[in-house]
Amino acid sequence: MGTKRISFKTNFILTTVFVIGVGFLLLAASHSVGDYWVRIITLMAIYSIMAISYTLVNGVTGIFSLGHAGFIAVGAYTAALLTLPIQQKTMSFFIAPLIWPLNSIQMGFFPATIIAGLVAAFAAFLVGYPSLRVTGDYFAIATLAFAEIIRIVIQNSYSITNGSLGLKGIPPYTNIWWAWGWLLVTIIVIGSLKFSSYGRALRAMSEDTVAAGAMGINVFKHQLMSFVVSGFFAGIGGALYAHWLTTIDPRPTSLGIMLTFFVLIMIVIGGLGSISGAVLGAIFFAFAAQWLRIVESPMNFFGITIPGIPGMSMLIFATVFILIMLFWRRGIMGKDELSWQYIYDHFAKKAGDQD
Amino acid sequence: MKKALLLISIALLMVSVMFGAESVKIGVAFPMTGGIAAFGQMTLNGVKVAQSLYPTVLGKKIELIVADNRSDKTEAANVVSRLIDYNHVVAIIGEIASSHSLAGGSIAEKKHVPMLSPASTNPLVTQGKHYVFRACFIDPFQGHVAAVFAHNYLKAKTAVVFTDVVQDYSVGLANFFIKDFTAMGGKVYREFYQSGDQDFSAQLTDALGKHPDVIYVPGYYPEIALMARQARQLGYTGPFLAGDGAEAPELVKIGGDAVNGVYYTSHFNADAPFTKIGKEFVAKYKEMYKESPSALAALGFDAYLLLRNAIQRANSTNPEKIAEALRNTKHFEGATGYITIDKYGNTIKSAVVNVVKNGKFTYVTTINP
Repeated sequence: MGTKRISFKTNFILTTVFVIGVGFLLLAASHSVGDYWVRIITLMAIYSIMAISYTLVNGVTGIFSLGHAGFIAVGAYTAALLTLPIQQKTMSFFIAPLIWPLNSIQMGFFPATIIAGLVAAFAAFLVGYPSLRVTGDYFAIATLAFAEIIRIVIQNSYSITNGSLGLKGIPPYTNIWWAWGWLLVTIIVIGSLKFSSYGRALRAMSEDTVAAGAMGINVFKHQLMSFVVSGFFAGIGGALYAHWLTTIDPRPTSLGIMLTFFVLIMIVIGGLGSISGAVLGAIFFAFAAQWLRIVESPMNFFGITIPGIPGMSMLIFATVFILIMLFWRRGIMGKDELSWQYIYDHFAKKAGDQD
Repeated sequence: MKKALLLISIALLMVSVMFGAESVKIGVAFPMTGGIAAFGQMTLNGVKVAQSLYPTVLGKKIELIVADNRSDKTEAANVVSRLIDYNHVVAIIGEIASSHSLAGGSIAEKKHVPMLSPASTNPLVTQGKHYVFRACFIDPFQGHVAAVFAHNYLKAKTAVVFTDVVQDYSVGLANFFIKDFTAMGGKVYREFYQSGDQDFSAQLTDALGKHPDVIYVPGYYPEIALMARQARQLGYTGPFLAGDGAEAPELVKIGGDAVNGVYYTSHFNADAPFTKIGKEFVAKYKEMYKESPSALAALGFDAYLLLRNAIQRANSTNPEKIAEALRNTKHFEGATGYITIDKYGNTIKSAVVNVVKNGKFTYVTTINP
């Protein structure tokens, strides 16, 4: 077994080269694969941000929340209301006019995204403070309920969110660079958090809350912090999503429980608690959903046309998930991170097997 | 004989594959799976009827490329992008739900490819867009038609309006009805409910205390049916008025006798098509699917024909020119009436009012714009 530790310096250089390499790949992709795939590549990064922030709570901290879509919705609405052109606001809000001061604000994408993150983090604090008093399934239900409350408040506040009519005409600011840039920030922040003393405390709690508490870790405080940080990046993800889609509404199928389940699928596929797993899961999810459309279009075999059957792709999708859960129970990455050490160990082990 | 037919059809298929490049590609972005898959299927049936009646344009075969948006907003945007970028369609028929059309419409707009929605009635869908059109009338018009009908035909002075607060469709219709009905000198009281509610007795008791001449419920059929039942039990004998969301066979199944006397505004009535092409459509639809066409099917049929007509007039398959021609659609004969598209991409055409009579959807009158 190769147990050599890769030095910090090597690690740093390799990672920098990797990030620059990904940057060049994205640059090449944005010029060659066509607008459709560029959209999907952008969506991959947005999903990754949502997944990483979710895995911080559900995986690293080990508390099962079902309220993620609520914070994404808060972020999406906050950012959208801040960047929407004033003229668009007057046109869209035809049932009840938008209240002051939102009706006279229009700001750039970056500050709007930051504010969206902060507002979502504050929402996470408000939700987390009472709900973290309960644990396990009760916490899941409490957060689910809070997410629904957020959605229903959005649905009924006609003079702030345009209610069930939704918002449209959001400027399409989110491009491949914003999305992947924010993904890099998310990975750096949550990655360093995971491997800091706070992160070790979180991981200790995810193994055994009582033991961690007995060791002197303030369980509630740590859980709340993780929840708020997660909320911040969920809000960023929501802001990027709103400016990617250009229209949002509070339907259960768009910013409701379905979105939470999608993100949950991503992090379970990727491996609960693994940041790189969350990214891989999100990329897999976004890619497969599009790529599998091939099976839904009519196919030609030597002049015999097989008509496309809508829904086939979802059938295959579901089957793949079931297979992964059967044979790869901990997801693609398990709890590990795709680090250089991990890759080195992996290959060293392989080489060792051959000897 | 059967074998010969099979051989010929295979041969034809080969030919059509070989000359695939000669076809005009039109994308169809509908929900084929998920929550509103039934709407997608109904509309697609209408599109297919139109295709079998009029399969060519400018001497080329029209090829429909169906893309499923899975009743999901993210996918609604993705399929439009895919159809334009990957399938290289010249125009798109879609989408059905207004929220989906908003997502897909912004992509079509950016790519300058015309997108024609058969059934998105929310005014925001076409607002400020040059490449997004629709084959149906908009919510304000439907609310206006209901107000005119309540005032002129039902001679109503007092109306109670029930709004389904979670449906943008219902909120829109209710608001425009109230605006027009009060402008005509009527009196309006409001009640609210939500999709999925089962018990309306509290709101109904309150509403009946106002002695309304008509109850306007611009919602969807499950709640309308239940509400009608409970109102009849409470002794209400007057008429109900609803929007096209009432139109589904389930309305009668759930509501039974109670829904007799429910009037609703709609796009089409299969028993009384008032254009020649409408009769042709109903006959062909019955032949293909062994049932009467729904309003959505008629709208899908019209969307296909509007697009085909625009391509003919443009005498080109250039998306830019098709959009230009669509904008200049005047008095076009469709299954749902004579259609004119205004400069905002909205459709000006007449609406029909139907009533449930002995469990059947019966034509009452047509209201012109």
